[in-house]
Amino acid sequence: MYKYDHIDQTLVDQRVIQFRDQVERRLNGTLAEEEFRPLRLQNGLYHQRHAYMLRVAIPYGLLNAKQLRTLALIADKYDRGYGHFTTRQNIQFNWVELEQTPDILAELAKVEMHAIQTSGNCIRNITSDAFAGVAADEYIDPRPICELLRQWSTLHPEFAHLPRKFKFAINGAKEDRTVLLCHDVGIELKKNPNTNNGELTADIYAGGGMGRTPILGSLIKSHVPWQILPSFLTALLRVYNRFGRRDNLYKARIKILVKALGPEEFARQVEGEWNQLHNDIKQSKDNFTQAEWERVAKHFTKPNYRALTALSNEQLQSHADSKLNSSEKIGFTRWLERNVKPHQVPGYASAILSLKPHGSAAPGDATSTQMNAIADLADQYSFGELRVTHEQNLVLADVEQAELLNLWRAAKNYNLVLPNIGLLTDIIACPGGDFCSLANAKSLPIAKAIQERFDDLDYLHDLGDITLNISGCINSCGHHHVGNIGVLGVDKDGEEWYQITLGGDQGNDASIGKVIGPSFYANEIPDVMSSLINTYVEQRTADEPFIDTYRRLGVAPFKEAAYRNNGKHSKESSKGAIA
Amino acid sequence: MNKQIISFPKDGKPSLIPNEWQVWDGEHDEGGIPDLEHGMHKVLGPFHWWITRYKNPDIIHRANQGEIGVWFSADDDILKHADIIEAGKSLWPVVGAHFPIFRDGRSFSTAALLRDRFAWQGEIRAIGDVLIDQLLQGARVGFDAFELRADQNLDVALKQFDLFSVVTQNSWRDQRATIAAS
Ligand code: HEM
Ligand code: SF4
Repeated sequence: MYKYDHIDQTLVDQRVIQFRDQVERRLNGTLAEEEFRPLRLQNGLYHQRHAYMLRVAIPYGLLNAKQLRTLALIADKYDRGYGHFTTRQNIQFNWVELEQTPDILAELAKVEMHAIQTSGNCIRNITSDAFAGVAADEYIDPRPICELLRQWSTLHPEFAHLPRKFKFAINGAKEDRTVLLCHDVGIELKKNPNTNNGELTADIYAGGGMGRTPILGSLIKSHVPWQILPSFLTALLRVYNRFGRRDNLYKARIKILVKALGPEEFARQVEGEWNQLHNDIKQSKDNFTQAEWERVAKHFTKPNYRALTALSNEQLQSHADSKLNSSEKIGFTRWLERNVKPHQVPGYASAILSLKPHGSAAPGDATSTQMNAIADLADQYSFGELRVTHEQNLVLADVEQAELLNLWRAAKNYNLVLPNIGLLTDIIACPGGDFCSLANAKSLPIAKAIQERFDDLDYLHDLGDITLNISGCINSCGHHHVGNIGVLGVDKDGEEWYQITLGGDQGNDASIGKVIGPSFYANEIPDVMSSLINTYVEQRTADEPFIDTYRRLGVAPFKEAAYRNNGKHSKESSKGAIA
Repeated sequence: MNKQIISFPKDGKPSLIPNEWQVWDGEHDEGGIPDLEHGMHKVLGPFHWWITRYKNPDIIHRANQGEIGVWFSADDDILKHADIIEAGKSLWPVVGAHFPIFRDGRSFSTAALLRDRFAWQGEIRAIGDVLIDQLLQGARVGFDAFELRADQNLDVALKQFDLFSVVTQNSWRDQRATIAAS
């Protein structure tokens, strides 16, 4: 894992001093709230419904045990004992005091962490594959590029006040686990003997995003040599900075500019700007050097793996059988099946700790007790490191297969082994109306009600892969557009309603879901889910996942089922029913 | 109009100096440039005004005496007028780039383009809604003079430039620290 050198450390330390001064000026009244706002946002500090909220960056999702313990400490000392892992590989603390945020940032700086550019109209925390460096289907470890671009984007002076927020995602595996095309810029790394002498190159997608106008990004340039990424991205951002709309918040994202110009024209303008930058000898100093690569990449070498032989799941189960009672056996088997992922190195696996307990905590929430326990598990079983997934779970990436049982037992004590990864109850949800001041409706009680309705693990396993994503408003923090089933909170005359979309998907066949029809009341949602799921079960062919059945049949049968009982629920009974 | 500006030459130190330039919005244009306020004898006119007047002999005469500069508004597409700007290089002692509101970052790119693409060597001055917390970014993209909004505390402003001793991307002033470290 990347280790700060004195440059990184100096930068975050000085950033704390800078922010302390800005907070002081705010508190003594020489800095107006309106002028402080973009400054605090660039330090991840929001003002939410009840309190300030601090969003801390976890660059490309990588954490070590010590950092996680610090997050636990912050949760205890400055918040209410928990944190919320987000779809953008950040963690949020919902109840912090403005006066204390400089101290929190100082605490973070001690363990090589910060909240720089986790919000605001600048380049945000760069996200990547939570299984980077270990995934069996990876062809390039994206982390050195992630880190080089993290540094390049940190406090970038030209792009501190863009028209709108700007999000990068970077992928280097066959299966896209980054929702690449839903980012302002998606960088797909390639290594091909026929281009750039077999060196690393990047295909650049631009103009994707969710929100009010969901759009998948377009390919605007192939085979950019990795060294040239700074000048290419400068050109791209410069075009956006100059010509992105600033008159209307909702039209200010790069996706609107790319759409308005057309991807070809946008690409042409970027190319024009880039040629200038690139041809200019002075500017070519912007290029990443081999020495920089080596400085960074040396931190992403493989940990000290032991030479082991690979075990099949059957072998693991039969080894475990003698040590487990019958209900434990089922639990462990399911966990192996759903929560354990293949690894590049024989004898190792990655284990996902589910932060989606049925009905008892908000998706992505972890208590300080859990965080400390997970830090210990990471130390004991996974070289002291872990990852945050954009589905809001945590991963111990380098576990010896033979230790999986011990890990499972230990994690079970902290309610972290629910075998629901990729299943209907592995819900992605934003904080919604319980915390967020922009919300039209609550998200968390909906997630809870669905998890309670579908609490039968046998049934969930039988249903197989389904993604269900919930956002409390059109900003789409819960990624509802790319859920196979999406739930969106909408406001109608001051009441909370929920709109359903179907057919969204992340991964290589990413697609944006379609609205099925008029919205529902909160207390109708569990029944609607049952209707959708029953339709799938009735119509599927053997082994056909939900999304394929939907793609084969279209929306009609699902829609029909969802509205069959519509009207049964009264307005009054819905109010507060799930709240 | 601030009576003092921050001057921060590329190879020098930031300091307060008297403001000699009056920013003129181009309104009430009767063919010439307006009467200058007491104490000021130089004027920064809007680029869109210059485009229509730069053939006027009176204006060229004043320009030749070093009394006229131009400022670019945030939505001026300076690349569209490359020839006029090239010619302006030998006429204008100072150019300005305007921030209509502090959180509009277009003029950061304008300054970067003036330095990178036009190799502009003279002063580039930040004008408009220029606040203390924009100075660092401005200094790095190519600004070397700042006329702050009148309510800003210039002493606090001057301290900003010492905040960071390292940077992680190249800029007009310096190379990223990470190159030397590699
Ligand atoms: C509670 C405070 C939050 C606020 C005020 C907030 C605000 C916003 C806003 C205004 C947008 C719309 C951006 C646009 O379309 O231009 C947005 C989008 C988004 N936010 Fe949040 N958000 C919050 C929490 C979260 C959380 C907890 C997550 C992750 C679980 C998250 C992840 C995202 C994502 C992934 C998007 C959509 C991305 C896109 O369109 O590119 N946000 N958020
Ligand atoms: S989707 Fe809306 S309600 Fe949910 S966190 Fe984002 S802004 Fe808030």
